[in-house]
Amino acid sequence: MLTSNSLFIFFSYALVFSSIMVIIAQHPVFSLLFLVSCFIFSSFLLFLLECEFLAFLFIVVYVGAIAILFLFAIMMLESKLNNLSKNTIKYFPIGILFSIVLLLPILNVVNTFFVDSSTVSDSFYVNNYQNWYDLIDSTHDVNVYGQILYSYFALQLLIAGLILLVVLIGVVSLTNSYEKQTKQQSTFRQLSRTVKIF
Amino acid sequence: MHTPITEGLTSVILLQSFTVFPEYFISISAIYVLIVIVIITYNVYGLLIHKALSECLALILLMACYLIFNDYDVLVSNTLSFHHSIINDYLTYVSKFLICLFTAFYFVLISSSLKEQKLTSFEYLLIILLSTLGLLLMCSSGDLLTAYLSIELSSLALYILAAFRKTSTYSIESGLKYFITGAVSSGFFLLGSSFIYLNSGSIYFDDFITLFERNKWSFYPPNLLEEDMDPHFHLMILIYKYFNLEYTIWKPWPEGSPLVDYSFIEIGLAFIYFSLLIKIACAPFHLWSLDVYEGSPTSSSFFFAAITKLSIFVLLIRLAHTCFVTSSSSWHLYFIIIGVLSIFVGSFGGLKQRKLKTLLAYSSITNMGYALVALGTLTNTAIQMLFFHLIIYMISGLCTWSIILLLRLKTKNYGNKYSKELGDIALLRKSNPALAFAFSLTMFSIAGIPPLIGFLPKMFIFLSALMMGYYMVIIASAVLSVIATFYYIRIIKVVYFENLLVGKLYYPINTHITLLISSLIFSLLFLFFNPTLIQLLFFDILQTPSNVSFYCLTKI
Repeated sequence: MLTSNSLFIFFSYALVFSSIMVIIAQHPVFSLLFLVSCFIFSSFLLFLLECEFLAFLFIVVYVGAIAILFLFAIMMLESKLNNLSKNTIKYFPIGILFSIVLLLPILNVVNTFFVDSSTVSDSFYVNNYQNWYDLIDSTHDVNVYGQILYSYFALQLLIAGLILLVVLIGVVSLTNSYEKQTKQQSTFRQLSRTVKIF
Repeated sequence: MHTPITEGLTSVILLQSFTVFPEYFISISAIYVLIVIVIITYNVYGLLIHKALSECLALILLMACYLIFNDYDVLVSNTLSFHHSIINDYLTYVSKFLICLFTAFYFVLISSSLKEQKLTSFEYLLIILLSTLGLLLMCSSGDLLTAYLSIELSSLALYILAAFRKTSTYSIESGLKYFITGAVSSGFFLLGSSFIYLNSGSIYFDDFITLFERNKWSFYPPNLLEEDMDPHFHLMILIYKYFNLEYTIWKPWPEGSPLVDYSFIEIGLAFIYFSLLIKIACAPFHLWSLDVYEGSPTSSSFFFAAITKLSIFVLLIRLAHTCFVTSSSSWHLYFIIIGVLSIFVGSFGGLKQRKLKTLLAYSSITNMGYALVALGTLTNTAIQMLFFHLIIYMISGLCTWSIILLLRLKTKNYGNKYSKELGDIALLRKSNPALAFAFSLTMFSIAGIPPLIGFLPKMFIFLSALMMGYYMVIIASAVLSVIATFYYIRIIKVVYFENLLVGKLYYPINTHITLLISSLIFSLLFLFFNPTLIQLLFFDILQTPSNVSFYCLTKI
């Protein structure tokens, strides 16, 4: 019990740290790497909460697909970000003001809401027991998600499918150009480019 | 006998609880239309079917109207279906009907101007249809997850509509702006929902009613309830009495006992309201709307301004007036402040504006301000008047935007300029007197001049705020609405009395479109003398006490 709690606290702090670093880091590639670490830490948190399938899904979808897509986009853009520090200083005071206004009530409520005043948690021995029935009658994560999604949330699943259809139609019509010539890949130009990431 | 544990959950969606037939019809027909058009245009490059397609989609929506009208018994049964995630009551029914009807009108109105705007590809119309589907689902959503998904369905379609003209930088820019603000607001919606889930352990609206509104409807004593009730309900009370059960739901909450801790609920609600107010573009959150309305194609901004606002307000009414009324003392004043602020911004922002679409965006901000004042007042009358105001807003929006869309200048460099300025409609009286008259009637109606319908909802909103004693609010918004009248009257001045020798020439308008526009304009005048027709639509949108408890008890 104690070990899992300490792991949970450790991963939460690491998650908070890396999510702050995503914003602070100057170079987009570094902030992207911190974003990847964010996803990994949150998937660890999900492991500790015994949602194994969701944890794997986090790593597969976010790290495997989205972060790599971002990396690809940053490499393609090659943007010069020299003036970023100027903007940061310019927007610093108003950002601090708004974040304080946003954070203070949340922290205040969290402080008052999660006060554990029961005597059980103050006692030395933690009342820890193993529920054997849970171990016998256990179904897989994926099984549970599938059953709930296809029975209780059937309508929501269909709406999600329609959202994907809208995005598909929109992306095809926005990026498709009805020109006869397609763009050719010229190997020479591709090989002669220099790497400009770092 | 060993039964496998992995047996499926016993969840069957019965035919009698399948209350989403109109949405089902629209989604199936959208997919069907997509397949058919892809087959038709597979080898033919540049086949123009936009006009036929838009009339076909208008027909689909009119048929959906008929389906909604036909399913009155099921849709207004005050029940919950699909495991509590779809609400069937009168508010849903009316708003779905109105959205379908007005979107059908919209399709007819834009059909002839698509070619001039160079938006002839079929995806444009299909995306509008799918966005309408999202709006319909938003009206009937009974939990936060369905609400989120339907908001996403409609607003993702809207981002695409804003960015649809690929060759124009303004359109791409407005699409990107809309997308970024929309993404931020969706994130805040999810954060607020997670806070509410943290406190209540549920995402369903009926659970919120049972958890937080217990004392609201348990105050009604049983003998008062037994007078006018459905027979079904009588039976239930008989059963309760027969078995000598204590029907706990009417028991008055003991005075002075500690109620629920609302702190997390309030923060979560603040985030959800924030995201929804971004979507309807109220005053501190309105900055995206001006650029988006100006930059995107005119028919897209027509859709953003006229059609999309109603269903978000239905969701706001559900949250503010049905689910969380008990905690209203902490936030209802903010609605009024935001409302007055948006009236202020909308009135003063439009004064120096010469671009027509931005002017109409400011006008839309002002109208949303009146609606928010009504929502902040939170009495039953005020909510009904809010609905009244939104219906009139949609009708007058259809009139104004369609007239602006259909004014096609006769110029040599055809179609180079998409946005219109005030100078473009100068001396419209000379070239097209009927259209000029219609335009000035619409402007008078939006400004709220008495013999037109726009006067009534404004006055009733002020009166309902007066009943609650918000005197300063009424004085401020009345003065500001006088200021807003200036730019409406200025448009009429430009149309009629501009001191020019040479006006502009316009293409004539098709006959069936003029029929539709003139019937809409006539309704602006007719409804003032006979407002009962609209009252028939909104008189029952709020549940009576017996309905509320019925609503909590029976779940299909």
